[in-house]
Amino acid sequence: MSLDKVLKYTSASKTNPYAFDDDENFLKRDVTDNISHFDFKFAPVLKPAEFAKSHIDVKSQKDSLIKLAHGTTTLAFKFKNGVIVATDSRATSGNVIASQTVKKVIEINPYLLGTMAGGAADCSYWERELGRRCRLHELANKERISVAAASKLLTNMVYSYKGMGLSMGTMISGWDKKGPGLYYVDSEGQRIKGNLFSVGSGSTFAYGVLDTSYRYDMETDEAIELGRRAIYHATHRDAMSGGYVRLYHIKKEGWEFIGLEDVEDLYYKYNNQE
Amino acid sequence: MFLTRSEYDRGVNTFSPEGRLFQVEYAIEAIKLGSIAIGIRTNEGVVLGVEKRITSSLLVGSSIEKILEIDTHIGCAMSGLTADSRTIIEHARVEAQNHTFTYEETIPVESLSQSICDLALRFGEGAHGEKSIMSRPFGVSLLVAGVDEKGPQLYYTDPSGSLVMYEAKAIGAGSEGAQVELQQSYYKNITLKEAEVLVLKVLKQVMEEKLKNTNVQLAKVVPKTGYSIYSLGELEEIIARLDEQE
Amino acid sequence: MLQHKDGSVQNHQHGWEPYVDNGGTSLAIAGEDFCVIASDTRQSEGYSINTRFDPKIHKITDKIMLATTGYSADAKRLTEVIKMQTERYFYKHEKNMESHAAAQMLSVILYQKRFFPYYVFPILAGIDNEGKGCVYSYDPVGNMERVTFQVYGSASGMIQPFLDSQVGFKNQQNVDKTRLLTKEEAISIAVDSFTAATERDIYTGDYLEIYIVDANGIHREQKPLKFD
Repeated sequence: MSLDKVLKYTSASKTNPYAFDDDENFLKRDVTDNISHFDFKFAPVLKPAEFAKSHIDVKSQKDSLIKLAHGTTTLAFKFKNGVIVATDSRATSGNVIASQTVKKVIEINPYLLGTMAGGAADCSYWERELGRRCRLHELANKERISVAAASKLLTNMVYSYKGMGLSMGTMISGWDKKGPGLYYVDSEGQRIKGNLFSVGSGSTFAYGVLDTSYRYDMETDEAIELGRRAIYHATHRDAMSGGYVRLYHIKKEGWEFIGLEDVEDLYYKYNNQE
Repeated sequence: MFLTRSEYDRGVNTFSPEGRLFQVEYAIEAIKLGSIAIGIRTNEGVVLGVEKRITSSLLVGSSIEKILEIDTHIGCAMSGLTADSRTIIEHARVEAQNHTFTYEETIPVESLSQSICDLALRFGEGAHGEKSIMSRPFGVSLLVAGVDEKGPQLYYTDPSGSLVMYEAKAIGAGSEGAQVELQQSYYKNITLKEAEVLVLKVLKQVMEEKLKNTNVQLAKVVPKTGYSIYSLGELEEIIARLDEQE
Repeated sequence: MLQHKDGSVQNHQHGWEPYVDNGGTSLAIAGEDFCVIASDTRQSEGYSINTRFDPKIHKITDKIMLATTGYSADAKRLTEVIKMQTERYFYKHEKNMESHAAAQMLSVILYQKRFFPYYVFPILAGIDNEGKGCVYSYDPVGNMERVTFQVYGSASGMIQPFLDSQVGFKNQQNVDKTRLLTKEEAISIAVDSFTAATERDIYTGDYLEIYIVDANGIHREQKPLKFD
């Protein structure tokens, strides 16, 4: 589906490089095919994918003009009472802090959460698209989509753009018939099921904290505190992470927002305890 | 009457010298073969009701679906060749979700109904680069019930693609009589509870079988909770209210 | 591809640079029931000033304005697209587009050019459907966030910390950090931001356009900045 479109547009660019800005169809989808999504525009060059990769910087690796918001610590883990999802809230673009208040947990629907690491727009766009498809699935089948199926949908969507510079590392978590579910999905097409993940520039620090204290049979309070502490320590050591700790708990009835805590307040809180 | 129509009722894209498109008119006739569907708009919400023809005692009644959800705030009832509605419903659901995707708000009921009508005339050969999806007109009519910022609304669409707003409307077999009854019984400030009973009352008059909670289906669309199908128990309760009234 | 006489092949598209940064600065501050949007009007390329008056703020609806910085050509194209789509929406749905809808739509439109982006940093600002002031900020490919204040452009490095302090009350003690500015305060901070930035940023100057959006509609003011 999408790949055909990409290829179609790639070949079209050779014959008519300026044929892309079709305003008439700007917001039009092919509604007869619910799997399709918007047609993307490509640069009128021989290798549009190369253009996209060389002009758009999502990893602070290149000196590109277009610097996108990115950089993160996100984590999610299963435990006996569900799933804890925690993130920081900093976005950097180049070496500038673009925002300290980014919402890196994407509420796909009342029982599915996605996290945001990599290109912020890539994550939010594709997870929104995932939300749209999950809802259509629900209408067609009269039951909620499983976490496994939802994460697979996302993988398939981004896989068709592999090699074109998308940057997304996300954890899709939720609760379905089988209980709590957690998958790691990235823009390279990887999809892994697991009990504990951390993604982003600060993930190594978060893993350090998580691996020290993580047990599956933790109580809820203990689990939330572990998520909070792991993000806090990552913001402390990783320059690209910071801002606020955002916490969610996924239960049988769907997700619950636990809170948003300023890491500055946490700094004093943890220092006074010691 | 059919004599005069010869030659001009073969192609879906040929007008007769009197300016008629017979295939579209025949499609509208097909609706009248379908079991009845009724919609009533009130200030508190919209009620939809359909007859489920249980043609055999071995038929599983719950497998007949003639009222479907399009989005949380829109539902629709149908009559005619209900299989044709699958394409339309799929289209409508995608339209609704696409609107939400792009604008972070639910689609207005009228726009959604209009998008259904846009589909109605896409038979025959495709034009303007639009893919043709059917070789003939749809043989199904829909009653679209929804609630948005303009309040509860009821729309009627037919195979010709026209869109009309109604306070109360009956479609399908026996709809003429039913429409007369609706016209007599409907009044401006009818409540949702009264509309529930009125839908069943009209269905009862038209149906050949005895009205039971298993051979009718009712749904409502109300401002806060949106679309919902009535459970067997709820139907039982409304039937009791109807019996009381009579 | 061009084949030279010596047999070497030159790919003309290799060094193609479709983007220019035309400088300039735009900011928006949301209040309780109003919004202030301000931009300078200088448009330059390299060390040359192309024009002293090239407005970067555009009206989208009676309640929504779009302020841009980055590449002027892309910004103008983007503005046209947004205006056209809001108009189509008006005729299709028979109602004015609310700010949340316009905000989401802008994000989608930007992302459609994810692989050949508009080099624009847009700020969408105005009044939301509850009558509250709103500011949405974006990156060039549509990452969106609703904020209370935002500045983009060549002087953003100077102005954003100033706004963090004076509008966001960051790193201050004994203040109500949730307090929103009054209209007078917001306008005065916007003016001070630009007069100060004009002193130190070569790409900001000439004129300052200020728009105030509130329940009474859109009000425009223009002030001269330094011309050097």
